[in-house]
Amino acid sequence: MATPSAGLGLKPKHFRDAAACPAAGLWFEVHPENYLCDGGPRLAGLTAVREVHPLSLHGVGLSLAGDEPPDRAHLKALRRLADRFEPFLVSEHLAWSRRGGAYHPDLLPFPRTMSALVRITDNVDAMQTALGRRVLIENPSLYLDLRGHEMSEIEFLSELVRRTGCGLLLDVNNVFVSCANLGGDAEAYLDAVPAEAVGEIHLAGHERDARPRSPLLIDTHGAPVAPEVWALYRRLVHRIGSRPTLIERDDELPQFPKLMAERDIADAVLQSLAPHPDREIAHACAQ
Amino acid sequence: MPALNDLAAFQDAFAGALIGEPTKLTPWLAPDETPPGLAVYRGSTTSGMIDALEANYPTVLQIVGRDWFRAAAGRFAAEHPPTEPSLLAYGAAFGAWLEHFAPSADLPYLPGIARLDRLWTEALFAADAPVLNACDFAAIPPARLPFLRVCVHPAVRWAVFDQGLPGLWLASRAGDSELEIEDTPQAMLVTRPATGIETRLIAPAATTFLKACVGGKHLHRATADTLARHTEAEVSRIFAGLIGAGAFTALR
Repeated sequence: MATPSAGLGLKPKHFRDAAACPAAGLWFEVHPENYLCDGGPRLAGLTAVREVHPLSLHGVGLSLAGDEPPDRAHLKALRRLADRFEPFLVSEHLAWSRRGGAYHPDLLPFPRTMSALVRITDNVDAMQTALGRRVLIENPSLYLDLRGHEMSEIEFLSELVRRTGCGLLLDVNNVFVSCANLGGDAEAYLDAVPAEAVGEIHLAGHERDARPRSPLLIDTHGAPVAPEVWALYRRLVHRIGSRPTLIERDDELPQFPKLMAERDIADAVLQSLAPHPDREIAHACAQ
Repeated sequence: MPALNDLAAFQDAFAGALIGEPTKLTPWLAPDETPPGLAVYRGSTTSGMIDALEANYPTVLQIVGRDWFRAAAGRFAAEHPPTEPSLLAYGAAFGAWLEHFAPSADLPYLPGIARLDRLWTEALFAADAPVLNACDFAAIPPARLPFLRVCVHPAVRWAVFDQGLPGLWLASRAGDSELEIEDTPQAMLVTRPATGIETRLIAPAATTFLKACVGGKHLHRATADTLARHTEAEVSRIFAGLIGAGAFTALR
């Protein structure tokens, strides 16, 4: 298998197309929560894709930013899935969804405080220990201007990286959406990201909130990547170098070739990058 | 007033705001406004649960229509939020809940339809196992067969009804618009041979036979149990039909 370059979020509808697609560097990502079953066609379909392409597991249900340790049974289930599919990346979100035994299936915000940092550091440690590997943590899209933050999102994430050794899954669309919604400078945000921590990049489409009198952008994953987000992406990878990049699409799912065409744009951006100095050094050392 | 850095208090307040009680969240919100962002989170958590129910109860959805379904599913989700991060199996209690949901009083067959949808979902995610075919059985000396046990495949599900709900369910899944309920007992079998999920009507007597097999009885005992309850049953035909459907995984 070639080194993973640009990949696609994988839906069961596209299992056959994905397994048959020979594109070099193509990889796929799934939410592990959608594969926590005993058997059947869904696991079989993912197995067939995994036989030909690298896979990434992108969790949405660990509730790492909640004031309680991650669910042990869920960690065990993730470990079993990771042992079976041997993903090259495993990631989760800087968000919560569980409180008092009930799940609110979304990526919910929280005040970024020192005490939250201590709790979330423990939770990321617990995840990395249970899975026996480094994980990537993703910046979520934000819709609510909370009071009580003690640090910016990128300060919080950088400190989490420093304390746990985790990496970052940088979602460029989420940066764009959060900055548009809460007032922020997306370019400044991306420029402040510690390059060496970024292990994966996400790109997706957003849409304007359809609710009356709402000025918000929504990270719907239901549209092509916006031109502004492509521009931010180019700027980012020109600074930090090539990273596995994923096009996420969950809603209004197009035919596979159309998704591949969008994925190929990211692949072309990555191929166009001049060899990164770090990589040259690594190459020189290897010789 | 809680400290702004009290994460647990924040989560409780936020969870309250998600179900329409935003007062406790006030300390964390900018003054004098109802932020549209709260509606975004409320909308996406609710639609996450409703979408999962739609995926798991497609025949109920087809019969009642999208508006009715989403209204009912929203009420169910508010009363029974998910208790695990995977929504694959979410809504096991939906069928039973519909029995007591006042607006479904005019649709007395709806809980049964939900139950049949549930069997399909359970079969979809059940463990893998080999499927025995007719050749596997033909290889057994006829005199020995009655003294063997057959293991039912882990994805096999069935249900018996006093009325023709399974026929209605099958017709609805096949896209028929003329839906009628026959006034005779009907049973449905769900299997998962290599080609995918299969659903079919079976004789109610076949469910007695399957139950005996699951209970670990030898084939001759399973046959006797079936004939004791259904004197007219043609057990050899039932057995052959179940083999053809891929209901068995092993002989021992």
